[in-house]
Amino acid sequence: MTLRSFGVGATWAVSLVAAYLAFVAIEHGPATLASISAVLPALAFDVGVTPLAAPFLALLAILGAAVGAWCLRCDRPVDAALIAGFVATMLLVLVARSVFAFVLAWEMMSLVSAFLVAANHGRRSVRRATFVYLAVAQSGALCILVALLLLANHASGATFSDIAKSAASIPAGTRTAVFLLALIGFGSKAGLLPLHFWLPRAHPVAPPGASALLSGAMLKVALYGLCVIAFELAAPAPAAWGIVLVVLGTISAIGGVLYALVDHDLKRLLAYHSVENVGIITIGIGVALLARSSGAMALAALALIAALFHAINHGLFKSLLFMGAGIVAKTQGTVDLERLGGLWGRLKWTAPFFLIGCAAIVALPPLNGFVSEWLTFQGLIGGFALSDPTTRLVLLGATAGLALTGGLAAACFVKVFGVAFLGRSRRPEKSHSSETEQERFDGATFAQAVLAACCVVFGLVPALAVVSLARVAAATLGAPMIAGVTASPLASLPVLPIALIALPAAGALACLVLAARLGLRRVPTWTCGSPVTPAAQYTATAFSKPLRMIFAFILQPEHRRLVESGPSPWFPARIVYHIESHDVIDEGARWLGALALRAARRSRALQSGSLRLYLAYAVAALVLVVALARR
Amino acid sequence: MIARSLLQLLVIIVLAPLLQGAMKLLRARLQGRPGSSALQPYRDLAKLCRKESILPDGVSPIAVAAPGIALGVALTFAGALPIAVPGIPPLGEIVALVLLLALSRFTLGLAALDSRSTFAGMAASREQTVASLVEPTLLLALLGAATLGRGTQLSSLLHLPFGLAGLLALGAFFLVILAETARVPIDNQETHYELTMIHEGLSLEFSGWQLAFVQAASYVRQLSFLLLAGLLLPGGTVWTVAAWAVVLAMAIAVVETLFAKMRLFEIPQLLASAFVLAAASIMLRLLGATL
Repeated sequence: MTLRSFGVGATWAVSLVAAYLAFVAIEHGPATLASISAVLPALAFDVGVTPLAAPFLALLAILGAAVGAWCLRCDRPVDAALIAGFVATMLLVLVARSVFAFVLAWEMMSLVSAFLVAANHGRRSVRRATFVYLAVAQSGALCILVALLLLANHASGATFSDIAKSAASIPAGTRTAVFLLALIGFGSKAGLLPLHFWLPRAHPVAPPGASALLSGAMLKVALYGLCVIAFELAAPAPAAWGIVLVVLGTISAIGGVLYALVDHDLKRLLAYHSVENVGIITIGIGVALLARSSGAMALAALALIAALFHAINHGLFKSLLFMGAGIVAKTQGTVDLERLGGLWGRLKWTAPFFLIGCAAIVALPPLNGFVSEWLTFQGLIGGFALSDPTTRLVLLGATAGLALTGGLAAACFVKVFGVAFLGRSRRPEKSHSSETEQERFDGATFAQAVLAACCVVFGLVPALAVVSLARVAAATLGAPMIAGVTASPLASLPVLPIALIALPAAGALACLVLAARLGLRRVPTWTCGSPVTPAAQYTATAFSKPLRMIFAFILQPEHRRLVESGPSPWFPARIVYHIESHDVIDEGARWLGALALRAARRSRALQSGSLRLYLAYAVAALVLVVALARR
Repeated sequence: MIARSLLQLLVIIVLAPLLQGAMKLLRARLQGRPGSSALQPYRDLAKLCRKESILPDGVSPIAVAAPGIALGVALTFAGALPIAVPGIPPLGEIVALVLLLALSRFTLGLAALDSRSTFAGMAASREQTVASLVEPTLLLALLGAATLGRGTQLSSLLHLPFGLAGLLALGAFFLVILAETARVPIDNQETHYELTMIHEGLSLEFSGWQLAFVQAASYVRQLSFLLLAGLLLPGGTVWTVAAWAVVLAMAIAVVETLFAKMRLFEIPQLLASAFVLAAASIMLRLLGATL
């Protein structure tokens, strides 16, 4: 058995387990799978499923199946094996039911994914990205550990069920500290602004299958952690948490899409869109917390359904898009939008799948992104009826922000698909010779087909997912099946996507039929009489220019124009135009990083290399622990 | 009910080109030109349908199907308006319609970039820019009823108390209409200079029946937006809504005569003020109950 087939088989096996556990959690409610507390009560190792984990387990099952198929053809064999480990550790995080088990699984997940990020470690930028990723992941893990220990310290034991039992009596100060630590720990892993800076570096450099899982699944696992804290371990959450999450979510959504808009590296652009979508999911979680704290259980359920559904959907279409980008990188040798073009004819499988992914992420009906974004809007608007005026204004701002995000995302993906896949290739003609052969249908294409089919099916028949999610929401919010959930606006959901798309689909069909009947004459594009060249096409830089200028106060674009003069000053030999946008957060992160490195350099004095000194440290630590424990 | 909503759709389809012609005629008269007949758009559509359709070499099926999708979206929008019927529940939902309108822009934008023409690409870029700035305003201007807990169906806008909040929402929506129907000062439908085109530029590479589809979609959208504005105004019967739509159409012709087209980078300021109007309107309604 080769390493590759072992990796694929293991990935599929883990997916099957995840699917089974998701089914169990939804059908039979919470269940404990294993409970080992032999050594110390503090090191209790509990494993079980809860309804809240079920949607994430289901997502992991689908993505695991797809990425497994992807690994049959693409990525190195060792990556396939690492991916199996990555999926397994994510599964472990989702079923961990005690502090020890969760932190252990979480650290394993971070480490395995760091190996995947470092796959192409020959490049300096990759090593740098891995370092930044590990630094953020470890700082975040520390925050999570402290938050969980604070909770366990208050409760009678270190299992999640113990913590949840005494959650109601947590003092307000501890509760706030737990929330802030969890927000930093899980928020940085999920890529919420302003702790997103590692994400656009780390996700693009991993192999495509791993990028798909990093963006599609791991960010959701982080959001799952946030949900566990907010809805179970530190429940009931005060309204302020909801407001913080809605505000952070809105900022992440707008910030993510703006940076994506000006980025022309296809993979980095997709990574920025993950920041955007994590923001949208966070808005949903925030609204659910807000509604729950003011007793509007039906609204809380609606918002939680929206958040969970968007988490699943984003996992589906983002993995699909990362796989498409992987195929583009493999066949074209670049993911720079300015050097692509005309891929529609050459990637006959990837191109339509990528189009479905683009339409889904832009929330166009009748795809899955539309349904969950629509539900998020409904949650926000339903919140207008909450009694607190501040809450209402925050939700109003988030509604406007989400609408702006939608518009900007549409602009961004018109750019991506229009420039990269449509039109004509922007590369010199001679480099085309090797690509005349058509794309074949293989494991990689099958993986995309599965994900694209899920996007379409969850869009056209949202009830498939929403019915189960309603049960999850009801169980998580601690209410028996809530009557309001089945009332509006969920009531119109089964017919809405089909009703919206019926006439446009008929129109599209009519056009295709008319074109076949009447015939469409093909002529060269009219370019005012000048020769038709690929250079006449609008570029990605030009396409995003109006929005780049309008939002210059955030994006701070930096232009460099290099003119090589020719024989006459009026006819330069060559003009090089370079534009770069600086992520303002990056500057802050760099400053923090420099500070941390300086502190590390100072603390090097402790490391003398002398064995006796180390033994003295160990003894001192032991004495300190005993002294603290006896107090 | 189905029959009445189909009738509404049919009336909108039949009258949409007439409104376009009448607006053009009124604008010509206001500018001291004789103008062409109000029936000219019908003749144009009929002529386009008889002509051959051509497309650039090697374009994808997206460009072939885009006009049909645009027309389908416009017809769905027109059919969903709660005028002759109280609204078809799943369709007349505000957020869903706003998201649906993005579908037609998305496909037309892709078709424009597919056509390999600089001007079409430029138009797609500008259309997406304007649309993304308009979308928050469009949504907020229509959410007045939702603040009162009446839900997000378009029909909830009927019989909404008008007042200052209604006036502000109407002001915002009027600017949205100028942007969505490609009117001066944001866009100019009648320009012959590609560099200034936004919406017209998208259809530069379409011809024949395909162009007829795109233009019919624009006409239907225009009338639908005006009728939607009529729903925001007091009244609420079929005839008052139609009357308000005609009044607003005339107002647009006057605005087009009084103002010149703005420079592209001044448009965001206008749209920002539209957003402020919409936000102020909805904040008035949101806080009205508690203050």
